[in-house]
Amino acid sequence: MFLLPSTPLWDTSPPLKSSYDAVLIGGGLHSLATAYYLARDHGMTNVAILERRFIGYGGAGRNTAIVRANQRTQENVPLYQEALDLWPVLTRELDYNLMFYNCGNLNLCHSEAAVTAARMNIASAQFQGVGSEFLAPADVKRMVPALDVSDRPRHPIHGAMFHPPGGIVRHDAVVWGLAKGASEQGIHIHQQTEVTGIRAVDGKIQGVETSRGTINSPRVLLSAGGYSAGLSHRFLGVRLPISPLTIQAMVTQPLKPLLNHVVSSGAYHVYCNQTLKGEIATGAHMDPWPNYTTQTTAHYLKHQAEALTDILPCLRGVRFMRHWAGLADMTPDMAPIIDGNDPVEGYYLNCGWGYFGFKSCTSTGKYVAQYLATGERPEILEPFRLSRYKQHRLMGETAGAISYTPWN
Amino acid sequence: MTRLSELPTLRIDPYEELRFEYDGRPLTGVAGDSVATAMFASGVRVFSRSLKYHRPRGLYSLDGECANAMMAVDGVPNAAAETTPLAAGMRVGPQNVRGSADHDRLGFLDMFDWAMPAGFYYRLMHKPAAMWPIAAEQIRKMAGLGEMEPDHRTVGRYTETYLNAEVCVVGGGPAGMRAALAAAQYGARVVLLERRPWLGGSFEHRLRSLDDGTPAYQRARDLAAAVKAADNIRVFARTALIGTYNDNLITAVQRGANGDDFDERYVEIRAASIVVATGCIERPLLFENNERPGVMQIGCAHRLAHTYGLLPGRTAVFSVGSDGGLECAADLADHGVAITCVADCRPEGHDPELVEALRQRNVPFLAGWVATAAHGRKKVRGVSLTALDGTGTRDDSCDVLVASAGRTPLAGPVTMAQGKLAYDSHTGCFLPASLPARLHVAGRLTGLEDPAAIETSGHGAGLAAAADCGRAVETELRECDERLGQLPGPAAGSGLVRSPTHGRKAFVCFDEDATVKNVRQAIDQGFDVPELIKRFASVGTGPGQGGLPGHNLPMLVAELRGMPPESASPTTMRAPMVPVSMATLAGSSHDMCKRTPVHDSQKLPGAIMRRIGAWRRVRYFSDDLLCRAEVRNVRTNVGMLDGSSLGKFRLWGPDALNALQRIYVSDMAKLRPGRVKYSAMCNDDGCVVDDGIVIKRADNEYYLTTSSGRAGQTVEWFRYHTRYDGWDFKMVNLTDALGVINLSGPNARTVLERVADARVSNDAFPFSGYREFTLLGRVPARVMRLGFVGELSYELHVPSSYMRAVWDGVAAAGTDLGIANFGVEAQNIMRMEKGHLIVGSESEQRTTLNDLGLGFLWSRNKPEARTVGSVALAQTLEQPDRLKLVGFRMDDPEHTPRDGSIVVDERIRGWVCVARNSDALSQAVGMALVDEPLSGEGTTLQIYEDGCGGNLATARVVPMPFYDPGGARIRM
Repeated sequence: MFLLPSTPLWDTSPPLKSSYDAVLIGGGLHSLATAYYLARDHGMTNVAILERRFIGYGGAGRNTAIVRANQRTQENVPLYQEALDLWPVLTRELDYNLMFYNCGNLNLCHSEAAVTAARMNIASAQFQGVGSEFLAPADVKRMVPALDVSDRPRHPIHGAMFHPPGGIVRHDAVVWGLAKGASEQGIHIHQQTEVTGIRAVDGKIQGVETSRGTINSPRVLLSAGGYSAGLSHRFLGVRLPISPLTIQAMVTQPLKPLLNHVVSSGAYHVYCNQTLKGEIATGAHMDPWPNYTTQTTAHYLKHQAEALTDILPCLRGVRFMRHWAGLADMTPDMAPIIDGNDPVEGYYLNCGWGYFGFKSCTSTGKYVAQYLATGERPEILEPFRLSRYKQHRLMGETAGAISYTPWN
Repeated sequence: MTRLSELPTLRIDPYEELRFEYDGRPLTGVAGDSVATAMFASGVRVFSRSLKYHRPRGLYSLDGECANAMMAVDGVPNAAAETTPLAAGMRVGPQNVRGSADHDRLGFLDMFDWAMPAGFYYRLMHKPAAMWPIAAEQIRKMAGLGEMEPDHRTVGRYTETYLNAEVCVVGGGPAGMRAALAAAQYGARVVLLERRPWLGGSFEHRLRSLDDGTPAYQRARDLAAAVKAADNIRVFARTALIGTYNDNLITAVQRGANGDDFDERYVEIRAASIVVATGCIERPLLFENNERPGVMQIGCAHRLAHTYGLLPGRTAVFSVGSDGGLECAADLADHGVAITCVADCRPEGHDPELVEALRQRNVPFLAGWVATAAHGRKKVRGVSLTALDGTGTRDDSCDVLVASAGRTPLAGPVTMAQGKLAYDSHTGCFLPASLPARLHVAGRLTGLEDPAAIETSGHGAGLAAAADCGRAVETELRECDERLGQLPGPAAGSGLVRSPTHGRKAFVCFDEDATVKNVRQAIDQGFDVPELIKRFASVGTGPGQGGLPGHNLPMLVAELRGMPPESASPTTMRAPMVPVSMATLAGSSHDMCKRTPVHDSQKLPGAIMRRIGAWRRVRYFSDDLLCRAEVRNVRTNVGMLDGSSLGKFRLWGPDALNALQRIYVSDMAKLRPGRVKYSAMCNDDGCVVDDGIVIKRADNEYYLTTSSGRAGQTVEWFRYHTRYDGWDFKMVNLTDALGVINLSGPNARTVLERVADARVSNDAFPFSGYREFTLLGRVPARVMRLGFVGELSYELHVPSSYMRAVWDGVAAAGTDLGIANFGVEAQNIMRMEKGHLIVGSESEQRTTLNDLGLGFLWSRNKPEARTVGSVALAQTLEQPDRLKLVGFRMDDPEHTPRDGSIVVDERIRGWVCVARNSDALSQAVGMALVDEPLSGEGTTLQIYEDGCGGNLATARVVPMPFYDPGGARIRM
């Protein structure tokens, strides 16, 4: 049983055809999942994924691997819940261990207002049948003994929202597993293939231009993560209300098990979890200025250390060893844009996921595949139309007014 | 173990003993030792066990570049023993062992490497599915190196220092010191960072003479003395670089020494120019068992002897790829180590002087040979060597194998600063190919090996840095460049990537137990670029990060894929360049919490303070969280609240009114002096971002208040939304300059009369009025008559510096009446009873002015003002299915739903923003945002609380305000 064959997981150099039934721009998780489900559920295998660098280069490989379904609004929860349910299913289907570690997520509350917000999320989750409960500080301490629940921290812990169904997933494994699953069904994954234009004639998609030639296709899905808004505007003049912001994360040197749950805190702007390898991965807040650099900043490392050690004092003796950054494509209401055929027929969008794109990629890919294959918008994707911004109907995923920049 | 005690290069005091504990055993080191060298001196050879296979690991680099010598020191895991100075009484223990490092019960795992190919956990362990959760827990237990106790407290002095230098030199070797001296000579303020406790770099431990006959170590010390003597060079020793950031920001971590007032400190430097002279580390030679204890790098063996006086072993074999290895072999032979042979993978290009030195010492020199395997289990006992041209093999016994394939420039600081590297076939290294502005490189980092060239390049870099700072260096710089051109250029490197073996136990990454074979497996599975292989086979993701495998991985991938070496590119190097503890990064506390001018007057017995936004304020004045006494005193008598956190602004200038019209939804042209105007600000979606009071004090002169949380953004908000108009108005944030006392209750006027130097009768100062007069005979005050809590109420705005006196004066004036403090929660309850909303509590990001029922504030008669949000307000006015703010009364007056409960039918239809059991009304009332169809008066709301298990509470939509609907009390 241990003599595992060493064959490529996916076809790394398929021929670039001149025509596909669908072209997916971006080699991240949303494209890969969409491709997988296009083939699996709809028999569409004449599909190409076009990736400028290598698959999983962007947010797919840079997130902190946390999965959960305790979103604020009922429009979002079902999508995330289905994604949570899919991790074990996909592990089996893909025959690739996505390493879903169902440790549960503990979201700390540090004020009366935060408790109110948590209560609302918990009630919403419970009403929709999603596991979530409120824990008093003493219970929080029992779950994570390293937490300081005394009055000493700058923001004392008033309680926590515990979400048992969540946890962490090995994000790279999802990239590779989905690539394997898509490729096995005949999808072409073209790496090092940059899209340089989208062709549309009379309001209809014709195909794309790439660094390796022209591809004809009646359908193009733009799911290029943080780069989507720029590409959409550059290629088709379709402007998206997205601010690309740098989001930073880091890991400590590996430790034996210390944190048995994902711990996050809004007041401190941190979340952290211990990977299966033992590193404490932590991140949270975005840099407050739009940019595409993916550069880290000196002070963020300090901020994170200061914040984490205030609630988890034992971490003072733990060392950070790697610090990186990625892009978060933030929309004004912290919910994605999933739309199609507006304003160009055959042009589909799946972007604006901000820093939630990992958690939801599988279920979203499934429904976007259905959308692409049938041309009919699945009911579950209804709330994510681009037009909601024009109508001033923001989704309530974030409670307070947010300002990514002074200029919005 | 006896030490070489006569060497002039020693950095230890062999006569000052330090006792410490290792794995429960008492050991002794000497002053100057690192933890690792003290252990080595005491006979410890196995320092740790590896991550997957639990292979024994020993000293390798002596610079903490891999996890081999990471130990638990005084309860802190993953401390690099090689770079941690020994201190008396330290408690040191091995990591990742079951038993001891020498006898590890999991050592057998090494035999099962065949069962753990690259990425095996992705392909196994999920079948059967039920096994995975158990397997995951096992992985967690097996993975991870050090152990941290949840209640561990790291004690120590952790500080920070922030410097502004003209030139920052990273690396205190010969090139770095020369650069510092050159820049300093032109008067530049220089900061020099050096990782080790002493300056000297590659010269520091070497006895070999330079061209002028001076021994290298002496030259290093001479330069160090010159650096020390220079007034404008500040040296930070024991300081490791964390990162180089935009605009020449450099961060580093410094370990304290005797006499320092810190144990570790964070160092941040903004420099006009940077010189990177970080030198090279050694590149691991890839052969079977290339990490057995006893296999070590050249610098490790050399410095053990010369810096610490410790012989690395009795019988040594060398398999190297640079002249430094030959020099080390000759030195060790002089110190009495039997050198069986020196193999050099370079067939030619050796320094003839060193070859001759070996010959004189009867050391066999094998050019074009390389080690293929080390033998022995817990310690190296022998080695197999092969001629690279296939002409022969040999086996030798030894107890130390000095192995190194060449050098790897430490270019992380260059790439982090957005410089680029390119593969250089002459040196076989990735060398800096393009540099960002105001950053220079020098020394071995650029491939140089000749000592004079190293120094000269440093000198030149220092001059170039001085030029960045405006110094006239042209002549000397030109001369320096000419001189450098005449000196030997970069030395040829070996180019060898791996010795000819199958690579089953040839480790590319020690920390992750990743072998040549694993890399091949990854390539076979379709992972074709180093970045992907790094992730798939975990190469360079361990505690030592990409340091040791940073060069070998891309070169190996290129070789295994049959690509030219020029096609290779290293994986991204990321901060921190060395692991940094959070205690150091956190430094001292940076809490920016604000206190009001009368903070101390609030700290009464029983008062419960909270951090509310940036402020610390009292939420409750007793442990009755319903605040009944506080509320009752305001409703029936008089209370005072410290409202100093309120946002306060002066706005003036010819276009001040235009600005107000743009920002506020109301028509501010109608403002009359002596009156307050309540209004709101919206964003472009028509959603309410803030509300507050505006007062016209005179023509073009306004005073306005905002909520506490918005105060910081208000000026920017005004400026942004008027940015294209060229209007002439000015704005000053007075939030911290003025304190606020909210004096409320039916007896408020009585109290105010006693302290005010003006008539404040209902006629003289009616509701919604604004007056300016003095209090207590001398303090100027701005006083407005409002009714947020629903009673007769005054807001006194006084200069912060007088706030304490006014507070005490008001309190004294009300003592006989029973005046008492009330807190934020009491205010919250009373304003809720009055139906007054708080933006952010009763509104969401998506809540418009109309949704809140405040549409009456919006003036449509000023289209020329282009009020922010007015377009959206018009467009959403008739929009159906929006969430609307309603008041509700619980059907069961005894049951108050928790804030944040949701309103449901088949779906979620809204949520409870605030609800309280009102003592004044004897009812449970609250406010909710609900779908418009549910917002009609009399509608029954079903309320779902978290944990209710489906037992819904019911409430009825009722008009607001709940309390004093006629408003008689605020007008009394």
